[in-house]
Amino acid sequence: MEQNQTQNVLAYVETAGGKPVNVGLELLTLARTIADAAEQKVTAVLIGSGLDEAAQRVAALGADKVVVVDDPAYTAFSMDEYTGVLEQLVKDENPAVFLMGNTPQGKGIVPRLAARFQSGCVADVTAVSIEDGALHWITPRFGGTVLAEEVIENSAVQFATVRTGAFSKPETAQNTAPAEKKAVSVPADSIRTQIREAVKELTESVNLEDADVIVSGGRGMGSAENFKLVEELAALLGGVVGATRPAIEDGWVSRAHQVGQSGKIVAPKLYIACGISGATQHVSGMSSSGFVVAINKDEDAAIFDVANVGIIGDAVKVIPAMIEEIRKAKAEA
Amino acid sequence: MAYIISEEGQELLGAVKEFCEKEVKEQCKEYDKTGEWPKEIYDKAIEMQLHMLEVPEEYGGMGLDRVSVAALIEQMAIADSGFATTISASGLGMKPVLIGGTEEQKQRACDLIVDGGFAAFCLTEPGAGSDASAGKTTAVRDGDSYILNGRKCFITNGAVSSFYCVTAMTDKSAGTKGISMFYIEKDTPGLSTGHEEDKMGIRTSNTCDVVLEDCRIPASNLIGAEGQGFSIAMKTLDQARAWMGCIATGIAQRGMEEAIAYGKERIQFGKPVLKNQALQFKIADMAIKIETARQMVAHALTLMDLGLPYSKESAIAKCYASDIAMEVASEAIQMFGGYGYSREYPVEKLLRDAKIFQIFEGTNEIQRIVVANNTIGRF
Amino acid sequence: MEILVCIKQVPDDAAEIRLKADGTPDLDGVAQVVNAFDTYALEMATRLKEAVGGEITVISVGGESARDALKTCLAVGAQHAFLLTDPAFEGSDSLGKARILATAKAKLEEKSGKPFDLIFCGLEATDKATGQTGAQLAELLNLPLITNLTDISYENGTVTAKQETDFGYNLIDSAAPCVVTVNTPAYAPRYPTIKSKLAAKKMPIDPISLADLGEDAGKVGKQAALTRTVRFAEPPQKVAGVKIKEETCEDSARRAVAMMVEAKAL
Repeated sequence: MEQNQTQNVLAYVETAGGKPVNVGLELLTLARTIADAAEQKVTAVLIGSGLDEAAQRVAALGADKVVVVDDPAYTAFSMDEYTGVLEQLVKDENPAVFLMGNTPQGKGIVPRLAARFQSGCVADVTAVSIEDGALHWITPRFGGTVLAEEVIENSAVQFATVRTGAFSKPETAQNTAPAEKKAVSVPADSIRTQIREAVKELTESVNLEDADVIVSGGRGMGSAENFKLVEELAALLGGVVGATRPAIEDGWVSRAHQVGQSGKIVAPKLYIACGISGATQHVSGMSSSGFVVAINKDEDAAIFDVANVGIIGDAVKVIPAMIEEIRKAKAEA
Repeated sequence: MAYIISEEGQELLGAVKEFCEKEVKEQCKEYDKTGEWPKEIYDKAIEMQLHMLEVPEEYGGMGLDRVSVAALIEQMAIADSGFATTISASGLGMKPVLIGGTEEQKQRACDLIVDGGFAAFCLTEPGAGSDASAGKTTAVRDGDSYILNGRKCFITNGAVSSFYCVTAMTDKSAGTKGISMFYIEKDTPGLSTGHEEDKMGIRTSNTCDVVLEDCRIPASNLIGAEGQGFSIAMKTLDQARAWMGCIATGIAQRGMEEAIAYGKERIQFGKPVLKNQALQFKIADMAIKIETARQMVAHALTLMDLGLPYSKESAIAKCYASDIAMEVASEAIQMFGGYGYSREYPVEKLLRDAKIFQIFEGTNEIQRIVVANNTIGRF
Repeated sequence: MEILVCIKQVPDDAAEIRLKADGTPDLDGVAQVVNAFDTYALEMATRLKEAVGGEITVISVGGESARDALKTCLAVGAQHAFLLTDPAFEGSDSLGKARILATAKAKLEEKSGKPFDLIFCGLEATDKATGQTGAQLAELLNLPLITNLTDISYENGTVTAKQETDFGYNLIDSAAPCVVTVNTPAYAPRYPTIKSKLAAKKMPIDPISLADLGEDAGKVGKQAALTRTVRFAEPPQKVAGVKIKEETCEDSARRAVAMMVEAKAL
């Protein structure tokens, strides 16, 4: 297969409600690293409507070029349309590398693009190294207990999805790149699925991926009643409520709150695990968190292995005491 | 697996183990505390058809050999012996019909089980434990009916069964020869359940009084002939004992597994406590006892499958397995040290669970009488 | 309704997998199971089949051991199972696997004369978690794709999928046939019954080879793979922090919060 002439990086910055999601900005750091190593450029792209502010934000974060497909038709995410738009942009920009967040959208779009370009694709990238000019992508296996170093070969484009929290957001750059608006239409016959209804069940979105603080509860909370303590602590810290699968199966909280392999992969600055034993499936979803506090009455619980601070005690008793202490700390500050 | 089992049994073992690990083991810890009968677990078990392992193939069962069934029951017992007791007691409750019943009775009883029911065997009375001839429950013939009166106690599955096999005196003067066996379905007027036992162990099984007050049943519900009840009951128990040995072995196996896991993790004097040969020997002794018990259970069940006499072997299996279950559970606690005595850890429950296996379905003293009689012979 | 479910056998995801001395994942003694997301897909397919009628066929690319995974599926809802096995398939990447599955689908339809109305895949496999195969299968088959389902219904040729969002859920329509990838539904996969398990044991699982597929050997397997694993590593062990066990919960909480303040985590 023909190898690309350029080593340009195309970085798709996913937005939600007109704002870039964290991983969309974080992957600009990775894009920069890859492009710099080959003395090439970073092109950031956004799709949606009313994206002026978002485009400016991205432009200020060091992309060499920003392409914005801003069209009322793209207000709501549609897998088929967005895939079609990105396919067109890849054709136009002819990059060597395509990056997107390993979000539900990214997991759907990127492998489809890879198939369309007959190219290799790696998922959930946590780091990249460059050996002899070749990109070595680091991706987790077996829930994160093993890391695989992968290379993509014989491909026009190297497609990759990037893990939330694996890279930090770039510093604001000195020069702001121009944001270029571009109209891209997708053939009508490529739209094959329709959102019939978008049902809102929650007044506030459960955005675990972009939360700075997450307070999670597990089976050790004991009951729906006790689980409210987790919610109270989260509210006090301005954080989002997370949960393990058992807590969700017991009906204490809705599935949107699940952290772990079959839920959300999160990387908040502060993660408080309450009554969580630390099964691999859960830990693999929160191990990139900045500071981890764990409360569990079992001294040998695996969660303590990944915690900066572990409190041995019954979460139901410890949380109210913590709430009290945090209130005091806040008052002092 | 220590039981040598059929390919079919092998196929099922993994699925049953997974079910017990995910749906029974942890959940029963809580039910052990509350003493509540965990209906939702039993509903799932019924859905999986675990309750009908002993239904013969010709009446809608699976046609598994007994040793394969034992391997499955042991898995259940490893997870929770109260759970295994409920399942196995249902097999016990069905046996009088299979031993002495008519074709029609067998089909009816098995249909009820296949449809998701449990069964109970009602022999013991407040004044008649080991001595069944002291029973006071009576059955009086009245035209095409029998009318039963009396109180049965310590009945496993008493409050949750679809049908009961009940012994009652049809001729008080004839002693054990005056005992008859009756088949009674739940919701029969005059049949009710009474006092529920708050037990030391196997707390996930239901044990209660079954009360008969002018309970009128069709004469066709007599199992076998009048006066055959004692013999049918004894044959029933002869078979059932091996199954109790199987569950007791499961308790012991669990105790050993917990002791090994803890001994590998518990660090004292800078090394895992299981590095001490003194504790390794404890494990070895557990393994010797468990394996011996298991093979005795398998031997008794194989004799049953082959149609050979099994009374003595079944009694040995039950007696030995329950004695060693107590020993192993006690030693497992010892290996846990202070933690073993705590309800937070899983081994104290095993000792409480194990004790009943030395008592019910014939105390171990009765088992020794059976073994002695079968060994010494008449003289 | 004719349903195809694509499954993968993976190491039990409850096991903590480390590297061997030679630097490859140590899978010795780790049980091989049906990928959890595939079991959800099969359960969802089975419920749909029970609602609208039809038959379920399961296929898997793998070695002889994957036969056990297929047998498991036959005990919990599937009627037919085929093992896509050939030394030439080994080392396939996700696109290669998708190609094998796509060709197999066409072959099975040709053989039975009945086209599949719906193709189910798990959202991702718990070992590699790339989540690529289902999406790429849709591309190769040129079929509509709906990802990340938590429920499904079917009426008059239209598939309606429930997909969870941060606010609630979307209902997404597609004409059949289409490909769907399944996340964790609200219901757990059923257990086999004793009878279904025994019946599954007797059901045939026919192998399908490269030659049976008529596929070009150069398009699958190791030599066609576009991604290659250079080496494995173990992530640096996070050093466990401080454990606090004071006399009272209040004292423990006080110390913990002080440490959080000190680390600027609050």
